[in-house]
Amino acid sequence: MKVGVHGLFARIHRAPLLEDVSFHLSQGELFGLVGPNGSGKSTLLRCLAGLRRPSSGRVLADGADLARLPARTRARRIALVEQHADTMDRLTVREAVELGRTPHLSPLRGWSAADAAAVEAALAAVEMADFAARHWHTLSGGEQQRVHIARALAQTPDLLLLDEPTNHLDIRHQLSLMALVRGLPITRVIALHDLNQAMACHRVAVLHRGRLAAVGPPGDVLAEDMLARVFGVAGSSREDPDGSRHLRFSHAL
Amino acid sequence: MTTAVVPSRMPRGSAICLAPLVLAAAVLAGTAIGETRLPLATVLRTLANHLWGAGYPVDGIEAGIVWSYRLPRAIVAACCGAGLALTGVVLQALLRNPLADPYLMGLSAGASTGAVLVTVAGVGGGAISMSLGALTGALVAFGCVVALARAVGGGAGGGRETQAAAAIILAGIAGSQLFNALTAFTIARSANAEQARGIMFWLMGNLSGIRWEDVAACTLVSLVGVGLCLWHRRGLDAFAFGADSAASLGVNVPVLRGTLVTATAIMVGVLVSKVGAIGFVGLVVPHAMRFLVGTRHDRLVPASALAGAVFLVAADVVSRVLVPGQVLPIGVVTALVGAPAFALILVRGARR
Repeated sequence: MKVGVHGLFARIHRAPLLEDVSFHLSQGELFGLVGPNGSGKSTLLRCLAGLRRPSSGRVLADGADLARLPARTRARRIALVEQHADTMDRLTVREAVELGRTPHLSPLRGWSAADAAAVEAALAAVEMADFAARHWHTLSGGEQQRVHIARALAQTPDLLLLDEPTNHLDIRHQLSLMALVRGLPITRVIALHDLNQAMACHRVAVLHRGRLAAVGPPGDVLAEDMLARVFGVAGSSREDPDGSRHLRFSHAL
Repeated sequence: MTTAVVPSRMPRGSAICLAPLVLAAAVLAGTAIGETRLPLATVLRTLANHLWGAGYPVDGIEAGIVWSYRLPRAIVAACCGAGLALTGVVLQALLRNPLADPYLMGLSAGASTGAVLVTVAGVGGGAISMSLGALTGALVAFGCVVALARAVGGGAGGGRETQAAAAIILAGIAGSQLFNALTAFTIARSANAEQARGIMFWLMGNLSGIRWEDVAACTLVSLVGVGLCLWHRRGLDAFAFGADSAASLGVNVPVLRGTLVTATAIMVGVLVSKVGAIGFVGLVVPHAMRFLVGTRHDRLVPASALAGAVFLVAADVVSRVLVPGQVLPIGVVTALVGAPAFALILVRGARR
């Protein structure tokens, strides 16, 4: 999906959350959102998902204004993986993933072979097919996060939004989850805290107090002065022997 | 560690056939059992006489007991059980709160205020019945709670659906307390001891005044309720991970929540106005059914409606035969069974 964000403003009780945010996403792009706590990453993702109506500005999904799209139509094309989504219900993994088919079903249109196939494909994509019969509350945090992503993939979206999906995961799960997201063929927007994970994105946007501080390839954007000005840390980008770049931080400013 | 087991499931066809049979058996038992125990044959003959004029010879008094008293009473009990259980299912799902019950929105408090104003304070001068007063009170209280919830949600919110659910619960508590205080105030000011006792009995659930003219309204609201919940079953499922998650799955959360909460409030308002506030059915039955049939609403909605109906018919029978020569308020029976059952569910839930 191609996405155009035009002059987005959002506020809560007059306190601005987003101010004049504009950028474009091209088809199949992996787009990183970085910024300190409270810089507006989650708010921006909620606006992109259509869950929050911006106070002004527009989000265009393949040219169609998101605010005018019916909720069901929108959910067939855009999926969101939230930060803290838990349940007390006794759901199995398969049932949790089947929820992703909700926008494709209606009261009169029942479950079909195509729905079952989409669920199987989503479970396979996150390597959770063997866990399908397990109960949600028996899963580890990393496994639950994978199931959330499988639910979003079962929506068969053209745009996948992920809000800090690597939070609270051990390093192995972080790396395998990032590898999973990198391998998906659709347009993705991923909010991240770990700037080195953001280095793997095609482009990153740096949010600072609700404003877009920079957009571009991570190697260009996450430079020394940006790290100091937005994140308040001293750090620099280094080239590894294999040619990839990574960031090294020395101290808080 | 115990391994999680997926509950075994009945084939859908047999469940659909079985449900009406179970319900009919419960209603028949409710009609046959009572202070004067009537043989099932008498009950069936009376029904045949009335339904298709079979012309069996039946004792006139016994036929009167079956047709005019016990049968409408059993049918209304079944409707109330189904309606209350269903409302519990809907509110627990939409508000993501396991303690949500049909009276959360101030309905029972409002109904009691309405009933007390009509019977004790003499509002309406005898022109309106207690049940109409109770219905009005329930809906007024519901309106107040919704208005308060909107004000609170709007203030705290910026549209976050999870906060809206918390606002509804808090507003419901505030509204219930206010209307309960109004009821207590009215009783303290103007009721005599006999009236106060009568009101207390009514508040705990009383099916003894039920006649055929009450059956139509109760049946209609509970059938519409079941249909509406089944129609929105996938929307209710989508709330498993919270209201925001439901919204991202394409559910129009404010519309769905508004429709179902209002519809169930009207349903409970009608039921409460006929039989008083019967507790614990709406809280316990949905939890028990989640253990038996799982959390998917295509099964949970019909299972809860059926279980609630059977449970309340049974509770009504027990309330009539437990103490000889006296009819206990049905709410006492449901609470006596429901409270330990709920405790058991909580303990088992914690162990799993």
